[in-house]
Amino acid sequence: MHANPNDQTLSVQGINKRYGTFQALNDVGIDVKRGEFLTLLGPSGSGKTTLLMSVAGFIQPDSGRIMLGAQDITFAAPEKRNFGMVFQGYALFPHLKVRENVAFPLKMRGIRGAAATKSVAEALELVGLADKGERYPRELSGGQQQRVALARAIVFQPHLLLLDEPLSALDTQLRGQLQTELKRLHRAVGLTFIYVTHDQGEALSMSDRIAVMKDGRIVQLGAPSALYNRPANRFVAEFLGVENFLPERLTGRQGLLAVRASALSLAGKAGRISARVSDLDYHGAEIRYTAQTECGLSLRFNLSLRDAAHVPQENENVTLDWQEKDALPFPAA
Amino acid sequence: MSDTLRQEPTIVTKSLAWAVICYLVLPITVVVSVSLTDRPYLSLPSEGVSLQYYEKLFTSSEWLSSIWQSFVIATVSTAICGVLGTLAAIGCWRIGSGLANVVRMAMLIPLMLPSMIYALGAYQVWAGFGWVNTYTGIIIAHAMTGMPYVVITVSTSLAGLDPKLEQAARNLGATMGQSLRHVIIPNIRPGVISGLVFAFIHSWDELVIALFIAGRNVFTLPRRMWDGINEHLDPTMAAVATVLIFLTVILLAAEFFLRGKKR
Repeated sequence: MHANPNDQTLSVQGINKRYGTFQALNDVGIDVKRGEFLTLLGPSGSGKTTLLMSVAGFIQPDSGRIMLGAQDITFAAPEKRNFGMVFQGYALFPHLKVRENVAFPLKMRGIRGAAATKSVAEALELVGLADKGERYPRELSGGQQQRVALARAIVFQPHLLLLDEPLSALDTQLRGQLQTELKRLHRAVGLTFIYVTHDQGEALSMSDRIAVMKDGRIVQLGAPSALYNRPANRFVAEFLGVENFLPERLTGRQGLLAVRASALSLAGKAGRISARVSDLDYHGAEIRYTAQTECGLSLRFNLSLRDAAHVPQENENVTLDWQEKDALPFPAA
Repeated sequence: MSDTLRQEPTIVTKSLAWAVICYLVLPITVVVSVSLTDRPYLSLPSEGVSLQYYEKLFTSSEWLSSIWQSFVIATVSTAICGVLGTLAAIGCWRIGSGLANVVRMAMLIPLMLPSMIYALGAYQVWAGFGWVNTYTGIIIAHAMTGMPYVVITVSTSLAGLDPKLEQAARNLGATMGQSLRHVIIPNIRPGVISGLVFAFIHSWDELVIALFIAGRNVFTLPRRMWDGINEHLDPTMAAVATVLIFLTVILLAAEFFLRGKKR
């Protein structure tokens, strides 16, 4: 049986990359499942882009291996890997029309004529730009350019698609729309996606699995719900938006207790924490508070206006409480 | 919109601008006039204009041979420094770091050093190679001194080009050569053409190196003009100068046109 090369899975095995004294990648290993949407999430400098660039072939690791099926591609030239990539800022060729941009990877593979024309038309159709083929990239909006970059990256049926913060240059509304479109595209083409972002909301809403990175390491790998509900450590919890970390003396138990602002609520007299409101932001359906405890700890909590009997104001003393099922214990870091 | 905001220049500004233009252009008009003289020595026409020195220029085997030699030398040296300068500029652009700036500065040395010093150095080294008084010698020297023009104009073009374009090309299946040919060069073509034009003009009217390295076998046009002035004040010189001016204007106009068409 002849194996379809697209069925080969990517496996990153213990790769390291050092720039001077900076360890950009520190023993990173990950097996990418076939057809999954994998997100590399982390702050800048966490190594997520270095990892993506190593997979793409633009960075050569100092040690470790990158395997595609049984083939070692650690040092294979980028053009030999057959991976599609959507770059930050799109990197569309300014001197070529949209149609020619999308045809470029086919031309490089010696595919011309009717077959190429058909593939280009299909790819442009898939991203909803069938009528823009004769335009130049500069004549398109940011969102449209992003779609051209996508069409160009999938038209040659790559083994997998690498996306380097593809939505970071777009405004919030367009970003939401394109997130939905990317998910649809992922289902439609059945390709493996490796997606780099620093936006936790984007990661949670799109991914099958998320690898959270910090200081060149993968600190947690798992499904979005697993990461959200059971962050492995304080860094992941903070990065996924947990606002409050309660110390031992407030909770009476060992280690830190992570509690989201949405899980910390006003309690009558019986609350376990007393604090003074220092700031409040009105957000329509809810008010987001910042309060200071006596020992100087800053806490965040949300109040839903729908079921609020009393709306505390600035400098008002409040008592706060939480339910054990909403709290995550961590060893003190 | 900007036209409505633009202020009418004052009489002082206008006069100053015209003064500068005259300052730049007047010597040229003198040369053109002298080339049309009817007298046997370098002078303005007295009785009437004459084309005799143009006739002399285009029938003299010496002058024609020098024009041809200068043309060959300028063409070949421009081709050499065009390729090397463009590749060097692209290399610096790809490295993009501090080292690239050092290399770029090194490329500009021929512009910063007095050409006399460069010529002297070249003479010493070329003498060792047996390149003095050869086409090879003067072509290589001109290719070196023409390099900064190419590096500067190509680097300027590259400054506006996203380095990710090359990565994108490679990712999409282009080899290094293909990405150079299909992506980078088409995007910097105006800069390359400007660089070639400047390098050509540089070689075409370069005298100092020609004085050192050229000789009986290789006698470039500027060298012949220099000898013409030193030995006998032959008005043919002015005719040559006029032809050179027109050629330069045509080249610059071509460069201007090609650049305008692209952008």
